[in-house]
Amino acid sequence: MNVDISQTIIRIAEIIINELKLEDVTPQTFDPDLDLVDEVGVDSMDLATIALVLRDEYGIRIDEDDYPKLTTVRIIAEYINTKLADDE
Amino acid sequence: MKTVSSLLDEHWYERYKQISKLNIRSSIYDVTDRCNLRCKGCFFFSSGEHERASEENDVNKWHAFVDKEMDRGVNLAILIGGEPTLCLDRIEAFYKRLPTFCATNGLIKVPRDRFPDMMVGLSLWGDEEDEKALRGKDTFKITSANYAGDPHAYYLYTITPKQLGKTGKIIQKIEDIGLKVHMQLLSNDEDVAGFSWKPEELIDVRAEMDAMLDAYPKTVISSKYYHQIITTGQMLDRTFGWMECPSVTELIDKREPRPKRLTNFIRWASDLKTVHRCCTSETRDCSTCKDGAAHMSWVMVNKRAHMRSTEDLQNWIEVYEMFAKLYQFIPW
Repeated sequence: MNVDISQTIIRIAEIIINELKLEDVTPQTFDPDLDLVDEVGVDSMDLATIALVLRDEYGIRIDEDDYPKLTTVRIIAEYINTKLADDE
Repeated sequence: MKTVSSLLDEHWYERYKQISKLNIRSSIYDVTDRCNLRCKGCFFFSSGEHERASEENDVNKWHAFVDKEMDRGVNLAILIGGEPTLCLDRIEAFYKRLPTFCATNGLIKVPRDRFPDMMVGLSLWGDEEDEKALRGKDTFKITSANYAGDPHAYYLYTITPKQLGKTGKIIQKIEDIGLKVHMQLLSNDEDVAGFSWKPEELIDVRAEMDAMLDAYPKTVISSKYYHQIITTGQMLDRTFGWMECPSVTELIDKREPRPKRLTNFIRWASDLKTVHRCCTSETRDCSTCKDGAAHMSWVMVNKRAHMRSTEDLQNWIEVYEMFAKLYQFIPW
């Protein structure tokens, strides 16, 4: 399955906004390069929650050891697309 | 959307970045069911936790157990009692593998040739009078001789209502021997007469803790926000209790809605199989719990809730820094 990265970015931003109940931001205005820990204030429990939603959404497993690498929406999108491509 | 950098100036943002990726994952371990003191109000003995499990005596099993804990992601072992220093081989199983903190009454000196940089928290329950009343002896006399000047030891000073107006004298004594001190409050699990907190005393002790931090900034490891939280049980618009506590053993945590909690936290009994409910006594009423670590963790796991204003986020940073210092993730 070859997914357009921009679609994945928008969907991940939407998930993060919903799960973290972020205000004054939309999936379209969410900066995909914003550091989720240093700027959004995401912690490991948030990441675990987001990972569960992404697992259900995309049918992929996100290894807990990979959490520290998933620092931005764009990086998460690339990670997911790579996983999806590997599964093809 | 509020971002961290939009709330903090450069100085505070740097402080934030120093701690934001620490990702501390602690668990608590009863090293033994025995102690060389029997303190009135000790949660471990008053709630019968020393009888819940039989100690694992094979040290090889402790080593294997710690390996499994590390596989589970634990990166900070908090050793409590009974009295851990009665079983140095078991402590070593942790210390050789991962950052380790040992809570002790300090009567037995941790041999520094064997544990050169292990952080040691020395329990202290007040002045000579209170120590004798609650613990049967003035431990400070012994612990101060054992640990004076030790850069990897600090006092865990449990303040009782009877200490009001007297904390300065004790903290001065601690400063004089070159150690640090962290303050917490007695929960009085055994209802010892005169040692339960009255509302007006909690107001007074908060002011006194604030004053101690101002007077001894290099000796007292604390924050005024922590004082506020632990004396009021209030954080932002929320009240501490079972449904808020972050320090519940994960294996038995069935709470819904699931609160923000310590990732993978477990408190293990000394048989290495049994788990306790939480970081303190299972018989304790959570609504009156004064456990310092639980309240600190309550703040720490609720970072984004503190992103509503600059002051709130700075408070969060100060509490996280306090925890990180007490467990040697950042320097004093």
